[in-house]
Amino acid sequence: MEELSYVGKSVPRKDGVEKATGRALYTVDMVLPGMLWGKILRSPYPHAKILRIDASRAERLPGVKAVITGKDTLGIKHGFVETPRYPPDQYPLAMDRVRYIGEEVAAVAAIDEYVAEEALNLIQVDYEELPAVFDPEEAMKPEAPEIHPSHPKVKEPYKNIGGKTESGWGNVEKGFDESYLVREDRFEGQLRTHCYMEPQATLASFDLSGKLNVWTSSQGPFIKRAKLATTLGLPFSNVRVLKAYVGGAYGGKIDLFSHEFCASLLSIKVQRPVKIVCTREEVFESARHGQPIFVELKTGVKKDGTLVAQQIRVVNNSGAYRGSGVVVIFLCWGFVMLCYRIPNLKYKGYSIYTNNPVRAPQRGHGAPNLRFAVESQMDTMAEELGIDPVEIRLKNARQKGDILPNEDSVRNCGLVECIERAAEATRFKEIYGKRKSQEGQRIRRGIGMGVSSYFSGSLIYPNTSAAIVKLNDDGTVSLLTGALDIGQGAETILCQIVAEELGVSMDDIRVVAADTETTPVDIGAWISGGAYVSGNAVKMAASDARRQLFEVAAQELEANPEDLIAKNREISVKGIPGRSISFTQAVASSISKRRGNPIIGQGHFRTMKDMPAHPSLATTKGRWSDNYAFDAQVAEVDVDMETGQVKLVKATTAHDCGFPINPLLVEGQIDGQVSMAQGHALWEEVLMKEGKTLTTSFLDYKIPCAKDLVESHYIDVITERYEKDTPYRTKEVGEGYVSGMVAAIANAVYDATGVRVKTFPILPEKILMGLKEKGDKPR
Amino acid sequence: MKKQLIELRVNGESFELAVEPQKTLLEVVREDLGLTGAKEACGTGECGACTVLIDGKPILSCLTLAIEAQGKEITTIEGLAKAGELHPLQKAFIRYGAIQCGYCTSGMILNAKSILDENPKPSRDEILKGLEGNLCRCTGYNKILEAVMAASTGED
Ligand code: FES
Ligand code: FES
Repeated sequence: MEELSYVGKSVPRKDGVEKATGRALYTVDMVLPGMLWGKILRSPYPHAKILRIDASRAERLPGVKAVITGKDTLGIKHGFVETPRYPPDQYPLAMDRVRYIGEEVAAVAAIDEYVAEEALNLIQVDYEELPAVFDPEEAMKPEAPEIHPSHPKVKEPYKNIGGKTESGWGNVEKGFDESYLVREDRFEGQLRTHCYMEPQATLASFDLSGKLNVWTSSQGPFIKRAKLATTLGLPFSNVRVLKAYVGGAYGGKIDLFSHEFCASLLSIKVQRPVKIVCTREEVFESARHGQPIFVELKTGVKKDGTLVAQQIRVVNNSGAYRGSGVVVIFLCWGFVMLCYRIPNLKYKGYSIYTNNPVRAPQRGHGAPNLRFAVESQMDTMAEELGIDPVEIRLKNARQKGDILPNEDSVRNCGLVECIERAAEATRFKEIYGKRKSQEGQRIRRGIGMGVSSYFSGSLIYPNTSAAIVKLNDDGTVSLLTGALDIGQGAETILCQIVAEELGVSMDDIRVVAADTETTPVDIGAWISGGAYVSGNAVKMAASDARRQLFEVAAQELEANPEDLIAKNREISVKGIPGRSISFTQAVASSISKRRGNPIIGQGHFRTMKDMPAHPSLATTKGRWSDNYAFDAQVAEVDVDMETGQVKLVKATTAHDCGFPINPLLVEGQIDGQVSMAQGHALWEEVLMKEGKTLTTSFLDYKIPCAKDLVESHYIDVITERYEKDTPYRTKEVGEGYVSGMVAAIANAVYDATGVRVKTFPILPEKILMGLKEKGDKPR
Repeated sequence: MKKQLIELRVNGESFELAVEPQKTLLEVVREDLGLTGAKEACGTGECGACTVLIDGKPILSCLTLAIEAQGKEITTIEGLAKAGELHPLQKAFIRYGAIQCGYCTSGMILNAKSILDENPKPSRDEILKGLEGNLCRCTGYNKILEAVMAASTGED
């Protein structure tokens, strides 16, 4: 096999210097001449009718240039999902009713932030309060206040049903009857949040040609353009979303946010640029958080631990609008059925409206909740059967080539190897189950394993990625891609691919990225398909450019194009040393030979090319992805038996990501996910009371800091490879590894203490309570 | 409020500015001087993204009034590279993958610089303790630690 020069290498990130020197411009840094500042007035009530809004005093305040309310909008709703079953349900500015504290009611543009803030105080809104409901199970009851009518297609007497997913196969009842052991457990996830360091921010500038230019802290410009254009009633081409550096997102900046709409509408109204930067408090109080989910799980196994049947009921508290709630109840099904072979399965997922802020995906989107439930229960059953955790996982693990119930193939699945290698590297079997021998010790060590799987790209608008590679006169290369680098290193790996295909260096490549006007469409950095889908589009474009260049170079070298290779900025004839021309020379000669027609390579890639759309969110029917990543993760924890404090000491991730395009970046993704998993499993929680957020700062909502650093180990299980001239299948590495790790942590805590905590986060008091219930005396 | 004329020395240059007395140093360097490397992530002293050096010591510029910084030597991330040559910490952050989204990076590097200036060979725990106030949601701090360790040993 040909040796690779760039792909598979730990190349430093392309934007490293800009970021290390403070030169990288984020949306919060952008300034335009004549720019105004926008601020948003939010609902103080969790549920109320808006009777009247009087903005006249605000409008008269010197320095205020415009005030908008729902009446100034077209009243077009939007939603994370917009399908016939799930039509959009949220106005970008409230019209006649508010459904959560923090919902956007009006917006102001003024000469500075202080005037804008002052103007908010002058807007008079008369509300009539309505009864509200916050807990999903309360909201489902027939007597609950109605936030939205229940979904017409859900034939159950529940209220406030935003969506339902139902799926299954085989016969679970029979399966349970035939099982040796059946267990039922309920696991609860908490409300947690992204904590991207750059707050939500948007700069919108409507220009005199009728075009709206938007910089916004996001995860991909194309979905933002679509939703902005639709809600503003503009043709797509009149909205241009441009690149700015993004200070973190983790799922929290995907679809349309009201501040983006408001900055845009205000700019259209005043014909000046308008910028809105949310405060950290606003982000905590009213931006979208992750999905709090509870899982009821019933599982039947044979005596040897083989899974026979599984029945799952998932309920998600979607907040006041659908947000991604109807997606997460689909995904939870997926995260149940991916990792293990389950002959009989029955799944139901409900997304419930409540008077809470709207929810968004957060790194793993349901997978952490699901894997926490499944993996915890699996360890419990293993213990009851006297099987060790590694064996029971190996017994049930997906195997290479398995066809999933939705007809997807897991192809080169490395799960078995992940489990084996993670266990081996951590000496799992030696360390596990030593609770007895540690009795009397204050600090006890526990080890736990969790496995998970994640998809790599699916079909949700814009579904597809394209790319352009231009060869420039001076021998440099320009890559035009719609992909947005949100810190994951998209631009770097895409350049590695171009460098590999053309035999040029990383420094020879300039990237023009994430601009809906000048760069081709891209799926976005939120569906876990960047490396796979966008990467293949770029590969195609680069190899198209190379093919064109080789035609010219072949004439120069009096050889066949098929016999040429491009490496080290040279094009040479295979096997004939010395027969070569420089890359720059070849480009120069192409210009004269092609009479000035420049070489422009084009590429396009869509996963599951012939599938019309994403699978059914209602029934799970249809292809979901053609590329699944797998992992087995091991956590080692120290638990202080007196205080209940848990310290995650070591995290090992054995993962099948196909192959890493850039091992250094992959390690960074793993470290970041381990850290998020640590916070998620052990302490993070957004606390709310009757719709009001109580944790509104980094002091109240603590995320891991440097002192919480976890020793992180990586094991790459390579199942795919990169070859010239054919699409490759690398897998996602950006969000699947939170879930295996949260599960591993929960299992490790049990191993150390014998306490099975079924609600996240695993706070010290829950452990102490569990010890007390068990009758364990601390020392 | 009435503006006040102040003089600030930033990255070796002097600037005369008229600022409102309640304006923070962060606002002034970002808005008046256009040095946007210092970032705001909380504005209330909880994250370290706004860290700049005053007379070599790290301070949270979101909690510091610009007028208080008069007569002192202020260093922002833009002042770290000398004559186009990156500071060893900047190089190490790039090389070791200590930067992802980059939003915390300026504050992190400046704080790391002050740690190394005070103690050129800090232990692992001293580095982590020193960086405790700088939040990073992307990296888990592993590569940041490696980068600071590498810079402290002069490894390239
Ligand atoms: S912005 Fe100053 S500490 Fe967060
Ligand atoms: S690199 Fe993103 S917050 Fe640190």
